[in-house]
Amino acid sequence: MTRRFVVAAVALVAVAAALAAIAATQGGASKRSSLARLSNDGRTVTLQHGVIVREAHLQRASLLAVRGRLAVYRLEGRTSTCFGTGDSNDVGQVGSVQCAHGPFPTAGWPVLDLSIYEGATHGLRELSLYRVEGIAADGVTAVEFLRPDGSVALKVPVSGNVYSTTEVPSGAIAGVAALDKAGKELWRSP
Amino acid sequence: MTTRAHACILIVVIRFVLFVIASACVAAVIAAVRPASAAAGWCWPSCSTYGLLGAGTSTYNGCWYSSGEVCSGWSYWGTNGVVKTCYPGCDYYGNTRGTILYGFENRDRIRGRFTLLSNRFYIQPYEVGMGGYLRAQVAWYSGPASQINVAAG
Repeated sequence: MTRRFVVAAVALVAVAAALAAIAATQGGASKRSSLARLSNDGRTVTLQHGVIVREAHLQRASLLAVRGRLAVYRLEGRTSTCFGTGDSNDVGQVGSVQCAHGPFPTAGWPVLDLSIYEGATHGLRELSLYRVEGIAADGVTAVEFLRPDGSVALKVPVSGNVYSTTEVPSGAIAGVAALDKAGKELWRSP
Repeated sequence: MTTRAHACILIVVIRFVLFVIASACVAAVIAAVRPASAAAGWCWPSCSTYGLLGAGTSTYNGCWYSSGEVCSGWSYWGTNGVVKTCYPGCDYYGNTRGTILYGFENRDRIRGRFTLLSNRFYIQPYEVGMGGYLRAQVAWYSGPASQINVAAG
């Protein structure tokens, strides 16, 4: 009777451990997949041809978001997917483009920071924010901008895979971090 | 004898097809990373070659940073285009270990975007809130030298 009880208890613990491992693995897989996805497909818009469209070999554009005067695009090039921005008063006119050889987003690279940085002191390579904008994977709910000492200078929410603000603090910025909905850091650069 | 001849012909055809496919792949890779347009008004190091931008690089023409930066002369630039290769290597995501800042500058400030990525980047002055008489620039920010071609027009 006692031996049967022990065997049953061991079997029960083994089953529970196996179920816990499966749940944990699936949770991790779910988080990883949410960092490899952009649910915002945007709205297809007609590209206005210009030097950037020609030089970057852009073929199609989807408008991901309009935030004030900022229009954010997902762009299909001949050899890669690119992201860009432009003036929202002139939709389809792309004013900047970043393309990448590798896949985006991924768990190892869930944020494409397109923010504009500025320096006003010659010889000093500490740059501050001029404007914040970028693209983030589904699993990212906020992006933090970090001081050289690692403290948080600015936290910007992500909505529809896009983050942006023109209200930025002064002072040096040395890094960017991505947070999940629980506020846990998912990724940091550099 | 006929069967053997057919086999030989088949092998030759397969080799030719493989050669054509390999040539197409090489051409595609070269096209993907070729330097920016030769029609540009300013290029660095030239309109058809790449140069290494590191902490000690300079165009010696009064850029915002006396070293670690290449910049154009003053003009009413419309677009700054940068092609950055995988030199000295890329990770799975296409990131190098060298960070650059690309954009524009005037007498008061330098502005641009950071990138570790290898590929193509284009930016126009209004995207960085600038206009008028400017210099197009690419500056080294951190890490090893980046292999780039810059063309502004």
